[in-house]
This record gives sequence, C-alpha cells and structure tokens, in this order.
Amino acid sequence: MLYFILRRLVLVVPILIGLTLLLFVVARLLPGDPVGLAAGPNASAETIAQLRQEFGFDQPLPIQYWTYVTGLLQGDWGTSVFTRRPVFEDILTYLPATLELVFAALLLAVVIGIPLGLLTAVYRNGALDYATRTLALGGIAMPRFFLGLLLQLAFAAWLGWLPLSGRYPFIEMPPETITGFYTIDSLLAGDFYALRVAIAHLVLPAFAMALSPLATIMRMMRASTIEVLQQDYVMTERALGLSNRLILFKYVLKNAMTSTLTVIGLYVSWLLGGTVLVETVFDWPGLGLYASQAILTQDFMPVIGVTLVIAIIYLITMLVVDLLYGVFNPKVRYA
Amino acid sequence: MLRLNKRQFLIGSAGAGIAAVLPWHANAQGRKIMVLASTVDIPNFDPHVATGYAPQWLFRNTYDALVRVVGNPPQPAPGLAKSWTQSEDGMTYTFELNENARFHDGTPVTAKDVEYSFARLLRLQQGAAWMVAGILDADSVKATGEMTVTMSLKQPFAPLLSVLPWMFVVNSKLVEANLGDDDGQSYLLANIAGSGAFQMGRARPGDLYELIRVENDWHEGGNLEGAIWKIVREAATTRLMLQRGQVHFALDMFAEDMEAIKDMPHVVRVMEPDYRSFSIKMNTAKGPLADKNLRKAISYAYNYQAMLDAAGPAQLMHGPLPTGMFGHAPELQVYRQDMDKAKEYLAQSEHKNGGFTLTMMHAAGYENQRRWCLIMLESLKALNIGLDIRPMVWPEIVSMAKSPDTMTDFYSIFQSANYADPDNTAFAGYHSSRNGQWQNPVYNNPEVDKLIEDARAEVDTAKRAELYRKFQEVIIEDAPDVFGVLESRKFAVLDTVQNYEFCPVAANTMEVWPLSLV
Repeated sequence: MLYFILRRLVLVVPILIGLTLLLFVVARLLPGDPVGLAAGPNASAETIAQLRQEFGFDQPLPIQYWTYVTGLLQGDWGTSVFTRRPVFEDILTYLPATLELVFAALLLAVVIGIPLGLLTAVYRNGALDYATRTLALGGIAMPRFFLGLLLQLAFAAWLGWLPLSGRYPFIEMPPETITGFYTIDSLLAGDFYALRVAIAHLVLPAFAMALSPLATIMRMMRASTIEVLQQDYVMTERALGLSNRLILFKYVLKNAMTSTLTVIGLYVSWLLGGTVLVETVFDWPGLGLYASQAILTQDFMPVIGVTLVIAIIYLITMLVVDLLYGVFNPKVRYA
Repeated sequence: MLRLNKRQFLIGSAGAGIAAVLPWHANAQGRKIMVLASTVDIPNFDPHVATGYAPQWLFRNTYDALVRVVGNPPQPAPGLAKSWTQSEDGMTYTFELNENARFHDGTPVTAKDVEYSFARLLRLQQGAAWMVAGILDADSVKATGEMTVTMSLKQPFAPLLSVLPWMFVVNSKLVEANLGDDDGQSYLLANIAGSGAFQMGRARPGDLYELIRVENDWHEGGNLEGAIWKIVREAATTRLMLQRGQVHFALDMFAEDMEAIKDMPHVVRVMEPDYRSFSIKMNTAKGPLADKNLRKAISYAYNYQAMLDAAGPAQLMHGPLPTGMFGHAPELQVYRQDMDKAKEYLAQSEHKNGGFTLTMMHAAGYENQRRWCLIMLESLKALNIGLDIRPMVWPEIVSMAKSPDTMTDFYSIFQSANYADPDNTAFAGYHSSRNGQWQNPVYNNPEVDKLIEDARAEVDTAKRAELYRKFQEVIIEDAPDVFGVLESRKFAVLDTVQNYEFCPVAANTMEVWPLSLV
C-alpha cells in the first residue's frame, strides 16, 4: 500500500506542474490590465510601469513562470496585485472558512444521504421512497444560491431561529484561532457558547450546499443497494437465516458503498469549487469569494493559488477514496 | 471509547439540534457601534497607496487630513489644521495645526509629520498623489514652525483646499520605525499610523473591519464607541439585515432595493443627487465617430427620456459638469432628442446614409448600463446605424481605454467626483494628458486643455466660473460624449442614526465619528 501511495504522490507532481503552466499561460493571454486596475483610476503611466516592474510583469513569460515555480517550492505563492498581500497568507486566511463549510455540507449529505438511500432501497416503491425521490429531484435541480435565499427568508427573517449570514456575530469575538475552524477552535477552547454560535451560523449555508450532493448520494446509494440486494450471495445469506439487519449493515452496505464513495470523493472538489454563490449569499468569508474577486480583477496569482489548492485537495481526496475502497472491499489490491 | 445506546444518541442529537435552532438575536443594538454594509473590501490600509471608496472611508475615520470636506454644497472645514491663509497670488498656503491633535500612540501631531506625509505621498506617486501632480513636489510642503506648515505651489491651483481632504497625515516616527525596504508600505498595508477618531480593531479580510474609538479622542462630536465595515455582497441579505436592525447604514443600494424597503419600519431612505455622472464617451480619434457631425447626430438621436426612465431616481446631465457643482452653467443649451436635427447633422457628416455598425461596451453586471446600451441601439436604428453591444469586465475596460485603436466606438462610464471642484471632472475627463486612461481614453482638444489649465490656475472665483462656462460651451459643441444621467446616491439608514448630513463628494466614504446612535 505504501508503494501505491508513493506512486500516486509522485504522479501529483507532473499534474501540478502542468496545471500551473496552463493557468499561467491562460491568465496572461486574457485581455485586461490588472496592474493598471490595481494602481487606481488616476495613476500615471510611470506609476503603472513601476508597479508592473515591482510585480515582475515586465519580464518575459518564461522567466515569470520560472520565478513563480521556484518561488512555489520555497513557499512563496506570489503576491496579489489587488490586496498586495502574499497569496499563501490570503489562502490561509480564507481556506479554513471554506473547508469548514464544505465538510459540514459533506457531513450532512453523507449522514442523511446514506441512511436514506439504504432505507429507500429496502422499502422501495413505498411512500418514503416516493417522497425522498421527489425531494431528491428538487434538491438536484434547485440552484444553491436560490435555496440559500429561501432558507434565509424562512429560518432567519420569518422564524428568527438562525442567524442570517456570516460565520459569527460581527460584534462578538470569535474563538481564538487555532485551526481556523470555528467549531473545532471553540471545542478546543472548551467554549460551548462559541460552539453553539458557530454551529448556528453553519447550519443554513451548509444545508444550502448539502442538498444537491445529499440527493445524489441518496439516489446513488439506493441504486447500488438495490443492485446488491439482488446478488446471489444476499439470497444465500437470507436462505441461511441471517437477520435482515445483519445482511444490510454487514454485507450489503459495504458492497453498495464502493460507487457511492466515488461520488462522495468527487463532491469534495465540486463543493470546494462551487462555494462562491453560497458564500456570496451568506457572506461567508471563504476561498470562493476570494477567488471570484481575483477573477473579476484578473489578479493572476490568487487565481492560480486557489486553483492549485483545490487541485491538491482533490488529488488527496481521490487518494483517500482509493484507499477506502480497500476498507469496503478487501478484494481491492494496491499494486 | 464513548458508547451511546440508541436512546442516548437520539436525545443528544435532538439537544444539539435545539441548541442550534434557539431564537437568534445577534445585532449591535444596546452598544454604540455603528454597522455599515458595503459590497467592497478594504485590501490595503496605506493612506498614500490605496484608492477606492472603501479604503477612503477607513482613512477618513482613522487618519486626519489638514482639511476636511463637509456639507451640501461641500465646503472645506478644519481638520488637523485649525486655520489657514492663502497668499494673494494663490502660490502659498500656510496652515496652523490644532494643538489638541494626537496620534493613536498619544504623541502630538506636528508640522514635521505633515511634511513627512506629503513627501511620502509624492515619493510613492500612488493613492491621491495624482490630484496634485504638477502642483506640489517633494520640497513644496515644509514645516515652518512646530505647528505651522507652509505649502509652496509650483503653479496656482484653485482647488487645493478641495483635494487636501484626501491627503492624510501619518505618524512619521511610527512609520520610520517600521520603514523596511519599501518606505513603510508593508507596515501600513495592515497597520494604522494615524490620528483619526478610531483605531483598527479586528480586520478580517473579505468579511469585516472593526474600528474602535480611541481613548481620549481629540475629535469633538458623536457618541460612537466603534464602527464596523461589514462586507455584504448580496442585496437581498443587506435588506434582511436592515430589517433585523443588524445594519445601520447600507451603502450600495440599487433603485429596486430602495423600492423594496420603502415601507420597512425604522429605515430611512436617503436619495440625494451627487456628483457621480454617467456618460457615453465616443471614440473621437478613430472610426466613424471622429466625425463631429455624426457625433452631434447621435447626440440628438439618443432617447434621453428613456434613459432617465430606466435609471430610477436620477436627473439628466446638463453638459459635462455635474449639476450643482461650482461652475456648472444650467442655462446652456444641451442635446435632447430631436430626430430632425439628428438627420440634419447626419446629412452633413461623411456617413450620411448610415449603413454601418458601431461598437459599444458596458461594464458587465451593471444592469442600467446594459439598458442604456439598448436605448442607444434603438436610437441608432432611426439613423440606419447598427450597434454591437459588448459587456466587459473592469480590467478589460482599463486595457481597452489605452488607445484609440482598442477603444470601442462608444464607451459607457460612471465618473465619481473625488473632490468638490469642476477641475476634477474637467481635468480627468477631458484634458488630453489623461488620454489612455479610462476617464478620457482619446478626447484631445488643445482649446479645451487651455481652458482647463487656465481655470485650475485662476484664483478669482468669478473668472474661474467664466472659464468653466466657456469650457462647457466648447465641450457641448464638440460633443465627445452623450451626456447621460446623474443617478441619485442611494443609502438606507436606520432611524437611530443621528447627525448625518449628506455630502455629495465621496458620499459613500462618510466620516462616522461625528455621528451618534440613540
């Protein structure tokens, strides 16, 4: 297995190099003048030229790329033209908020989606099955930002049960930063008030993000479970007199999980790349908003940096998913 | 390992759910903390580098300038300088500093700090330095006494007092102690070295910036303990926050937002005309619109009433200068839709039969700009001219404006007044030295240049007004722009906010320290 992991990690290197090269070239080919924009509407041509030199944009493209790649290896991800801060620092600021949201959404999707998928497969064509399938269709079809607005209206504006937006009440101090995840930081600090506040702020945006993956996971789980339930070995187990619960949770679940696991893995990057709308609606200060701001101002370095982070997380997730196949299916060998 | 039976698990889950769903009351009520909702981030805290309205708001509340701008119409008011005098020839200004002024570290603000700040601003040539380009140089501002500053101008500059509110004074000792190799830019990027009423509390990029009132603040007025610049990007969220009393001041409101909140309890709608103009610039240097008669034909063909109807609360521009600004001449004849005259001028042009297509850009995402482009499309049909409309993101626009070759035939542009003087609009929008910049990509008329230069150097008010009148006449005759609308500035304010007075210059960067909450 160690050889498998090492081989996969080695493969990551050319992928990331290719990605940086592609992004670097495409970003420079786009029409626009990010330095002119960052210099301000009234900056003189000399000031813009000076800034362009300062950011190294006056160098030939291959030299710019070489400088960037060598900088990457030393932990320098470049500087944002817009914020003038190091991109890596910016990413560290915004990433925890996004990861917390993505993990919360994924948790909701998995914790609700898998049991529902199992139940609807076992009781297929029953009332629960029809109801959840209808809801699943709605969940997949409804745009996340629209769902977010509906949730805000219902649970924040009308009922007043949950906060409207943000990660934490903006007149209060959030828990001291350790991991950047407010839920974990408040737990580590033993501050249960902060935990409650952080969770309350997380519920609506996480649910808005979770609904689509939840519906997909549920449908995938249902389909896989139905397929597995029709396998000969399940009939044999039933003939041997094993209880339904044992068959379902010990034998069927594991086999049905393989394809669902792939979907869950894919959803990590889908959620990471798609946070921008939910972050906008809920004023969630995360990576999506940072990236969208950078895209609008053609601030190359943050765009490349965010894409790299998403790519790295995606590659790691897929590696973990591949490893988890072995847990659910011992026949899988890592050769 | 903790093991739960089914009952314990269910009770625990329900408890967690109820805890999360308890009635929620998170707002700033009860404390004198004013919350402002804006869509714009504050990426840089350096008052000599950053531009844009969000940083300007920060600077007006954490730093001080020699002179402030207040009121409607805008007037210079004492800032760090308690008084000033001006020589008769307009070449020398002397400022006496307020002895009470203190930096956040408690040290007094001295003339040396002012001298240092102007030298740094002019050295960096960023931020507001463009406003005094050619007027002040590195040796122009001198401390001529402990609390006396003398400014020697390179040439007379009538709007000097109007531009000074954007030139902030830094604590020279603090900046020198953190100079680094970039003139203190790295330090001031994320730190405040000012004497303003507030110091920086929490700074969470992309989320909020908290200002805390300085202990023993030397400014007089207002009861605020703090202020929060909260970034709220979605208009619907802003409206809900207003409704729940979580926001006192919503800055980036559109006409439809104002309509939606008109019956909202405790919310006051502020809709005031300000000096932010919208016009459609034409490529006077290349292509069909280099022909003045064609530009005039289009200026007469455009449906101004439809533009006004689409704009929401607004008024039509009357020439190149904003209505109400010093020098504006409302009695001048301007273009209004008149198809007979449009066809008359078209017949005099080199393109009398039409039959060609022009290009027009608008800023992507600005619905009103798109509507105004569609009105141009309809208006041009009557002249047998087609129109290709292109949305562009802002960096593309900046790049496009660099040369007549890259500029589209029409170019939609909002222009805010950075200072309360016609020089701002005239110089930035029509002086040929600005060619290649987005405010004036291509227009070049030596007569206009001369008028602008003479007007900015003229210290006699009546003579200045006459020069600006002449400037407007020439511009209207030359028709480089379709003069559009002055959209009203739209804010939503809770009725607990006291002492607010609208100022049409940089209205969305207001000083909050004189305000109070009840």
